[in-house]
Amino acid sequence: MKRKSFILVLYFGCFLTLTGCWSQKELTDLAIISAMGIDLTENGEYASTLQIINPSNVAGGLQGGGAGQGPPVSIYTATGSSIIEMNQRASKKLPRRRYYAHTNVLVIGEELARKEGITGILDAIERHQEFRMTAVIIIAHGVKASDLLKVLTPVDKIPANKIIKNLRFTEEQWGEVFTLNLQDVKKDMTAVGKSPVISGFSIEGDPVQGSKMENVQTSDPETTLSATGLAIFKEGKLVDWIDGKTARGTVLILDKIKNTGISFDWKDKKDVGTFQVIRMNSKNIATMKKGKPKITVEVKAEGYLSEIRTAVNLTDPKILIEMEDTIEKTIKEEILLAVEEGKKVKSDIFGFGQVFHQNHPKEWQKLKAEWHDVHFPELTVDVNVEVYIRRTGLRNNPSVLKQ
Amino acid sequence: MPSFFKRRQITKQKMKQKKEEQTKQKIGDYGTTPLPSSLKEKIDFIKSETGNSFDVIIRKADLDEKLGIETAVVYIDGISNTQIINDFLIHSIIKNRELHRKQPNKDIFEIVREEVVALGDVKVLPNWKEVFQMLMAGETVVLIDGETRALGASTRGGEQRSIEEPGSQVTVRGPRDGFTESIGTNIALIRRRIQNPNLWVEVMKVGRVTKTDVSIMYINGIAKEEIVAEVRERLNRIEIDSILESGYIEELIEDESYTTFPTLYYTERPDMVAGNLLEGRVAILVNGTPFVLIAPTVFIQFFQSVEDYYGRAFLATSLRFLRVLIFFISIIAPASYIAGTTFHQEMIPTQLLIAIAAQRETVPFPAFIEALIMEVSFEILREAGVRMPRAVGSAISIVGALVIGQAAVQAGIVSPAMVIIVAITAIANFATPSFAVAISARIIRFLFMIAAATFGFYGIILGLVVLAIHLTSLRSFGVPYVTPLAPMIPKDLGDTVFRLPLWSLKTRPALISSEQSQTRVGGDQHPKPDSSKKMVPKKQKGEQE
Amino acid sequence: MEKAKIGAYQFFVLLLLFELGSAVLVPIAIGANRDAWIAILISTVGGVLLFFVYYRLYKFYPQLTPTEYMEKLLGKFFGKILAFAYILFFVYISARVLRDFGEMLLSFAYVDTPLFIVNTLFILVIIYALQKGIEVIARTGELFFNLLYLLAVIGFILIISSGLIDLNQLKPYLEQGWTTVFNVVVTETLYVPFGEAFVLSVILPYIKDTKKIKYAGIAGIVLSGINLSLVMAINISVLGIDLATRSQFPLLTTVQSIQIAEFLERLDVFFMVSMVIGIFFKASIYFYAAVSGTTILFKFKEPSKLVYPIGLVILFMSITIANSYSEHLKEGLDLTTRFLHPFFLVLAPVFLLAIAYVKNRKRKKK
Repeated sequence: MKRKSFILVLYFGCFLTLTGCWSQKELTDLAIISAMGIDLTENGEYASTLQIINPSNVAGGLQGGGAGQGPPVSIYTATGSSIIEMNQRASKKLPRRRYYAHTNVLVIGEELARKEGITGILDAIERHQEFRMTAVIIIAHGVKASDLLKVLTPVDKIPANKIIKNLRFTEEQWGEVFTLNLQDVKKDMTAVGKSPVISGFSIEGDPVQGSKMENVQTSDPETTLSATGLAIFKEGKLVDWIDGKTARGTVLILDKIKNTGISFDWKDKKDVGTFQVIRMNSKNIATMKKGKPKITVEVKAEGYLSEIRTAVNLTDPKILIEMEDTIEKTIKEEILLAVEEGKKVKSDIFGFGQVFHQNHPKEWQKLKAEWHDVHFPELTVDVNVEVYIRRTGLRNNPSVLKQ
Repeated sequence: MPSFFKRRQITKQKMKQKKEEQTKQKIGDYGTTPLPSSLKEKIDFIKSETGNSFDVIIRKADLDEKLGIETAVVYIDGISNTQIINDFLIHSIIKNRELHRKQPNKDIFEIVREEVVALGDVKVLPNWKEVFQMLMAGETVVLIDGETRALGASTRGGEQRSIEEPGSQVTVRGPRDGFTESIGTNIALIRRRIQNPNLWVEVMKVGRVTKTDVSIMYINGIAKEEIVAEVRERLNRIEIDSILESGYIEELIEDESYTTFPTLYYTERPDMVAGNLLEGRVAILVNGTPFVLIAPTVFIQFFQSVEDYYGRAFLATSLRFLRVLIFFISIIAPASYIAGTTFHQEMIPTQLLIAIAAQRETVPFPAFIEALIMEVSFEILREAGVRMPRAVGSAISIVGALVIGQAAVQAGIVSPAMVIIVAITAIANFATPSFAVAISARIIRFLFMIAAATFGFYGIILGLVVLAIHLTSLRSFGVPYVTPLAPMIPKDLGDTVFRLPLWSLKTRPALISSEQSQTRVGGDQHPKPDSSKKMVPKKQKGEQE
Repeated sequence: MEKAKIGAYQFFVLLLLFELGSAVLVPIAIGANRDAWIAILISTVGGVLLFFVYYRLYKFYPQLTPTEYMEKLLGKFFGKILAFAYILFFVYISARVLRDFGEMLLSFAYVDTPLFIVNTLFILVIIYALQKGIEVIARTGELFFNLLYLLAVIGFILIISSGLIDLNQLKPYLEQGWTTVFNVVVTETLYVPFGEAFVLSVILPYIKDTKKIKYAGIAGIVLSGINLSLVMAINISVLGIDLATRSQFPLLTTVQSIQIAEFLERLDVFFMVSMVIGIFFKASIYFYAAVSGTTILFKFKEPSKLVYPIGLVILFMSITIANSYSEHLKEGLDLTTRFLHPFFLVLAPVFLLAIAYVKNRKRKKK
């Protein structure tokens, strides 16, 4: 019995180990895709752009030694009528197996986002077991996704990494754009009372020049990628772009800002002071008043004065309190600007509807059907801002005061 | 119903038959054959039995020339103490010639036993079996003409290795003595540590040809009687020609042969043995080897070192965690590398993946083969290092470092990442405190590599499940191998991967020591002198000055 | 019966692992939408009540396995038929669990690998464990219980510290009212996983300290209920209700969304480890129940020989019961939870208990 079972185990063992290796994929057989772009072609087909990493050109290893000589990424393109099909078509050109698990950036062409929307595209990606829902999604602002992905970037050799870091640090330090991954987009799109806003990227300079190695070999790259504005979606389609203060106001309501500098006017002098935010949070409170929905946006900001270019006595607490009021007003304006913009395109990008759903489920049943088109544009939005200036940096009074 | 799922049942009849067959052809078994009375016959018999061996010394001496009473002192050169034999036997016999004439009533044999042989331990040997046993153990046999008995005097000795620091289990803090090849010395080393009459030693001869002394040592009252009886029974059951090292015994009495894990602990350190005896374990000492076996053994013992008990509890605990980690690294590090780079590239952070991918660009082999090449060449190197004379050792390490380290990487045959993995695995393996478990990890590692190469992490996880099932199914002298983790014994957990302060380890291991007395720390021993707990109180007025 | 001894703690661990088993991986009680966690908590209470039914049954025959007391309660003929039906049920569910496992592994990691291979490998491990007996399974359970909870705690900390949890996603509570919640409880979660505790009746006679069984059982069920509820609540609050409902394996999606310091991400292996451990115990215990029932019913002398044929049956059944994963799930909802579970896990035990009461009263009167 013992021998028999041993033979059985041996048999199974051989059978498994010898015929195994189905899902095995050697590292050297993989084309690691760092970013994928999807565009709409003129005849209505999809065009995909795959940004593939050339590992030996990125990491200067012992054997490779060629770091910096060749381009860190290569671009392959293909067209087709479905996402998966065209990507598989791309393998005709690729010497390796496409590998999506490290695709950290998904770029959607503006035209595609406007004409067809992103709902359909995301399905294939969501279903795919390699593709990650933590990949960052951006919209190519005014350019094609394929052009965006071709631009080589200095410092961060892999353009996809540059895009991610760019977004992250802009979000942390400025706040006009923010990182949004596929999962968040999907969550926003399926929630009834919320529409997604997605950060946009654009090319500064000549796209063709940007795809050449010379672009990263100078100290002043001719072509660069930069985060520009937010794309507002409605029912899955891009309807408008916002940037500047409007964009920051939006990000503020969405409670995604960590640090930012807010310039404010002081005694008729425009933008002479800068309030550096170190902590900021916002909260949307939904209330029903006589059957009419109302939203109160409550913002609390804490920070210090980082710049002041006018004569003012900062050692006086009363003046600081006055200043706080001014900053509060500035922030409120920004927020209202954003709300107006949202109302204009009839898309609740702030998730006010969601707040109603969560806190007033019964009333929401009535509002639900026509939220974006009727109720949201008519919504009363109150903004309460509280600003605290905690300190004034390493100096007390500006030198302007003495003169 | 018969026992469920257990098929290990050899029929008792078969055992009996085997035993009978074996007893028929025992070598060197004289049974109770009595001695002839003539001295010449006796000497001839010894000579013929020992094949006139060069080292069997027979010194004849007259006890009474007139009466023709002759004696012979027989001993084996080299294993007996010649000085003692000369001074207290031969010299004494010659000096006490004709002593019996003064005491005519007394038997000559008795006179020789009581007055001539001036040694402490003198035995009367009634038959050849005992004569040879004594002789071969280094004792001296005194043969007297006309007597059918012989005298055995204890003269063991000869050249022995002195007590040195143990080579295999070195500690920074702790005693420096280690066992030697002599069982007597070893027993003494332990007895010196446990000065208690309840430290009992049982001796038996094992090995039909070698007649090796094997002794069981335990503390009566602390050791569990069932376990002592079990050890005794298993030792008695041994029927083999030779016992040359305790490894022989280990293989013949262990619970499960088909496992890479040792179910008996062995050590060179007397303090370790003493500590284990005090936990209720049984030590098995074998003559001719400094390695003493300890039974029953649990898995967690292999992650503990004696030093843990000598140093601070915090350090011991963190070291034990480190050792468990080390064990896991040494079995699954290469396997994880293979699984990560051939199945689950999604798990590796992008930057790291790119770095590894860049290194692997030029490597012509799949990751599994690469790992296998490196692991096998490392094993070769290690084997060479162990077996080679010390002088050659440094040459080997230079060649090894150059070949598997640098040259292989520069030639593009292996990737630097693989070299790092192999190096970590190797160092982890060396850092395992128990050599026995380190070896078993070495073997298992390859199985895990195969599992990883065929099924990635799924293979590794299944491997770990099988490993866990295997470990929990093992027993050592009836004690489950993974206690006190599974089955969980909460009060024993203080001395597992943790080592709590000594005063909190109030009881001995539950399944191992005798149920009657399990307390080892009396009362509350937590040291908390007032003066160091709070601020020192003011001195009373009267005490000043 | 095997000559084994199991401690109350080991029983608790086995029960917990068994209950968590596959339930923690698949979306349970998702019919109740955002209130899935409430539904699970309520069914925990039901689970405790059901456990009392099983426990009373055991109390009547503390030395006997269900197969044996069924014969005593229903008479030779009917008892044997019911016991046989139970064996089939155990084999079937074991195969279902194995299929679940294979499908999970295939859909997220081993896409190209045939189901047969994955399942074969797994059943071999289970067979190996069963060969060693229930004692070894229980001890292995103790080891993996620690590992599982370690992973759970690490995972929990990671999820919290990556700031993924948005408790607002759980709101509004009880949007569809209590009826939906109770509907889900009665048709689904009461049986899976809580009612399944009946299977563990097979090992109850092995337990040493009989007094502690009650507490171990209750603790096991309550703790597993809390855990499941917590996991479901985390899933929904991380993924939002839409993603949680559409995910085949919400826990996997949750784990995949962890992203900390650009290093701690893509922790699929966490999921895989907990999956293998959970399913291993679930399938093993069902399998063991089937083997033990068969041994007693057909009076086999060497039960270890039964492990291979039954293992083969489970393996082939797991592959042939459905053509696709969707079909497999549909079958599970339409056949298993609607008919098989209520009958085998609730009706039959309650019925047996009733008979036991009547019989015992008669005996007392005599």
